[in-house]
Amino acid sequence: MTGLHFDPALPWPLIAGVAALALLAAAWALWRGLPGWGLRGLAGLAAAFALAGPVIERGVRQSLSDIVILIDDRSASQGLPGRGAQADAAVAQLSAQLSALPGVELRRVTVGDDPDGTLLGTAMTRALAAEPEARVAGVIAVTDGQAADAAMVPASAPAPVHVLLTGQPADWDRRLVVEEAPAFGLIGHTATIRVSVQDQGAVPPEMAASAATLRVRVDGEDEQVVALPRGVPLDLPVEVAHAGQNVVLLRLDPPEGGPVQLTDRNDAAAIQIEGVRDRLRVLLVSGEPHPGERTWRNLLKSDANVDLVHFTILRPPDKSDGVPVDEMALIAFPTRELFEDRIGDFDLIIFDRYKVRGILPPQYYENIRRYVEEGGALLVSAGPEIASVESLNLSPLGEIVPGRPTGRVIEEAFTPLLTDAGRRHPVTAGLPGAPAPDAPPDTRPSWGRWLQRGQIIPKPGAEVVMSAGDNAPLMVLDRVGEGRVALLASDQVWLWGRGFEGGGPQLELLRRMAHWSMKEPELEEEALLAQIGRDLSLTVTRRTMKDAAGPVRITGPDGAVVDLALEPDGPGRFAARWQAPAPGLYTLADGDLTRLVALGPAAPREFEQTVATGSLLAPLADATGGAVIPLSDGVPDVRIARSARSAHGQGVVGDWIGITPREAAQVSGLSRRPILPDWAWLVLIAGLAVAGWLLEGGRLRRSR
Amino acid sequence: MIGRMFSAALAAFLMALPAAAQDTPPGDPAPQLAAAARQVALAHVLTGDPEVDEAARQGLDGLSLELTLRTTVEPGPPLGIDVDQDDLSLLTFLYWPVTPDQPAPSPQAYARLNRFLRSGGVILFDTRDGDVAMAGGPGSGADLQRLAAPLDIPPLAPVPEDHVLTRSFYLLQDFPGRWQGNPLWVEASAPSGDTPPAAGFRTRNDGVSPVVIGANDWAEAWAIDERGLPTHQVGRGIEGERQRELALRFGINLIMYVLTGNYKSDQVHVPALLDRLGRAEADAFADDRFDDRWDDRP
Repeated sequence: MTGLHFDPALPWPLIAGVAALALLAAAWALWRGLPGWGLRGLAGLAAAFALAGPVIERGVRQSLSDIVILIDDRSASQGLPGRGAQADAAVAQLSAQLSALPGVELRRVTVGDDPDGTLLGTAMTRALAAEPEARVAGVIAVTDGQAADAAMVPASAPAPVHVLLTGQPADWDRRLVVEEAPAFGLIGHTATIRVSVQDQGAVPPEMAASAATLRVRVDGEDEQVVALPRGVPLDLPVEVAHAGQNVVLLRLDPPEGGPVQLTDRNDAAAIQIEGVRDRLRVLLVSGEPHPGERTWRNLLKSDANVDLVHFTILRPPDKSDGVPVDEMALIAFPTRELFEDRIGDFDLIIFDRYKVRGILPPQYYENIRRYVEEGGALLVSAGPEIASVESLNLSPLGEIVPGRPTGRVIEEAFTPLLTDAGRRHPVTAGLPGAPAPDAPPDTRPSWGRWLQRGQIIPKPGAEVVMSAGDNAPLMVLDRVGEGRVALLASDQVWLWGRGFEGGGPQLELLRRMAHWSMKEPELEEEALLAQIGRDLSLTVTRRTMKDAAGPVRITGPDGAVVDLALEPDGPGRFAARWQAPAPGLYTLADGDLTRLVALGPAAPREFEQTVATGSLLAPLADATGGAVIPLSDGVPDVRIARSARSAHGQGVVGDWIGITPREAAQVSGLSRRPILPDWAWLVLIAGLAVAGWLLEGGRLRRSR
Repeated sequence: MIGRMFSAALAAFLMALPAAAQDTPPGDPAPQLAAAARQVALAHVLTGDPEVDEAARQGLDGLSLELTLRTTVEPGPPLGIDVDQDDLSLLTFLYWPVTPDQPAPSPQAYARLNRFLRSGGVILFDTRDGDVAMAGGPGSGADLQRLAAPLDIPPLAPVPEDHVLTRSFYLLQDFPGRWQGNPLWVEASAPSGDTPPAAGFRTRNDGVSPVVIGANDWAEAWAIDERGLPTHQVGRGIEGERQRELALRFGINLIMYVLTGNYKSDQVHVPALLDRLGRAEADAFADDRFDDRWDDRP
């Protein structure tokens, strides 16, 4: 901190001018042969130097302690058997040694768990950035070396970085790797999950040869067992059976015999594949043009996911006007294609005010019935024709339509109401504007009225969800075989769309009716829903048509069983909150309904790589002269190393690691002193000038 | 104190609003309107001119008869609508002959008419001056403007050649009534072919134009008396009868358009759709024009 500084009395160009003048004068004197030229020049330069004001600056220094950063990795992978104690011992011994060294300050940094794994590199970068670079004398990391953020590991450090690895040389682990898992799959297609088994660490030779046993369970069904050689990827075809969550549970059997692997936390995986329909193919058959037809069209055309095939009978077979065919825009109803060849391609068939007019031969109705029984969906939206001899109920379809007409059409205005079942049923529950069950009888419901309906008697076992009052069923839902049928005994739903008397939620009602019949999971009557909240909390909701819902049995990943009682939560809903003790796979069950819930990651990133390795941190250790030393050989000594090039070595008792003292200091004050006092400058310049003059004067005298 | 009185008055006003907006007083709708809702009755706007109103009624009668004879639509008896009084939400189609001395409906009536148009109703405005408009004489355009200006009508354009109206039941090139050769105006189609329009009637109501406007005096061409005989002469001789037939075909096409929307324009996709159903991959439509290989009827 000591140095020569200038404090010029004149601007630098002037001082330079003076110096140049002095040199010029000396040069002229030399040319003239004056013997005092040197002294003249020196006098001039001394004057210029004095004008520049040379001062001596002295700092007051205080030396600073050296900082050693001790990184203590306490992530979950460090909790594997034996590693915790190993790390505790190392940290304690190193702390003691470092504290004993004079002028060394210890900074401890603890790295915990992160959802993304161990962020060791980030922690190291942060710790280095937080300390003054000039004081860092060493970094010591006690870790298993598994960093999830390898890119964040600093490329260099101002002092040696030593990595002390936990674990044993004989550590090995087998893990299940999910290489590819689709999040979505088309219903009815197979989704492919690619898995492989990987062994890490010192794999026992008897294990290296044998194949692992993989157990696969889809949606809680029977498990399949696959033998999987290690390192060979396996494409596992999984049939996406239904809409919503298809849960695939994969689990490796623990390896038999030999040394125990490190952990089984990475031997299982739960994969959730959301089943989606490709495109919904809807066949809408309107028996005649009527105002409600466009309500159906509005609903189906507004959904970009629906391929609508719509046919309207514009002219019955018994009417003709003699207009030549080339002036008509009518086309044939391709009944054979629709009801014979390709009926299975449709997800939903809607009959909208359809009259049996002899257009469809009876075997086509039989086809439709079979289609429903095999899992299809049928909606019947009936107008007054339901009471006539042309009613669909008189066709072979009548057996599966969930209401039988009495033959009466009731032409009086009525307000559609939800029945008790309708308030619970997902198709109608919570429809906006629905009259409340406990409202006083004289309050005007917010739904508009309809003006006619066919009187029907519901089939036994069918669910009446809407009515026109007591004993006047309006909407009936039923299951037939594998499929579903819905009947709406009025064609007046379009009045809601028109806003007659305020209207009603016609699109929502029809949408839910259509999607229920297509088995949309969100509209299942009996459903067990689980919503995963923060911090491993779980909201369990049971939707049911029954009056009570039993406790939900929760089976944890360790096999522990909890019975969770549910509280009523609105009509047909029961719910409860539950706090899970630990992450993992939980099975919820109520009777036949089961649901698999993965709380937190089933195989956390922490456990992807478990065998300790120095490979991630070795480049940094090499670059800084540090060492990667396994703790299984004992905790190394700490020494003071003078050279940062090789701050480690082998001593008599074992390895040692070095820290390099930085001798950092801070300047607490500053003093400034001129080189010479002003009078001394004067004497010096004058002396030089006089000496020069004397020298030249003497030569003059001699020549005289 | 004043503030409280004011807010009380405001509250009373707000509470009165829904009552004012209510179309029908609580109770049953008018019987003929309820019947119209059950039976798809055609309706016409009463203009106050007895001759025009009678012609409109007879015209809708004639059209209803032809619909019943030729199609599956079997409308009930037509009814005259007083737009100032009647609830339009039960109706689907309104025929509105434009007359010079018809008083403009009240603001409430316009609110109802706009709701009618927004929720899928269709009005056919007929200026009935196709004979003089052709000759460049003074038309009823001003009257139409006076009556229709307060309505929320989208931009209009003459019917394009491929509009659904030209093929919703019959194949038509022109839309004659008692007069012919005048353009028919409907909602302008979207600027470019297949892009879904941003908003408006098109998306809400299956793309059905809320208004159809022309000058061909269709009611008089459709009109029949109690004996079923035409009441007005159309054109001359055989050609006149042909024109009356085409006028009826237009009427039938229009009602089909009102009831089935753009059904006939997705009908043309059906062969392609059926093809598509058989294939796993979604191919582009090979042919999306009308395909008259299907020349039979059910």
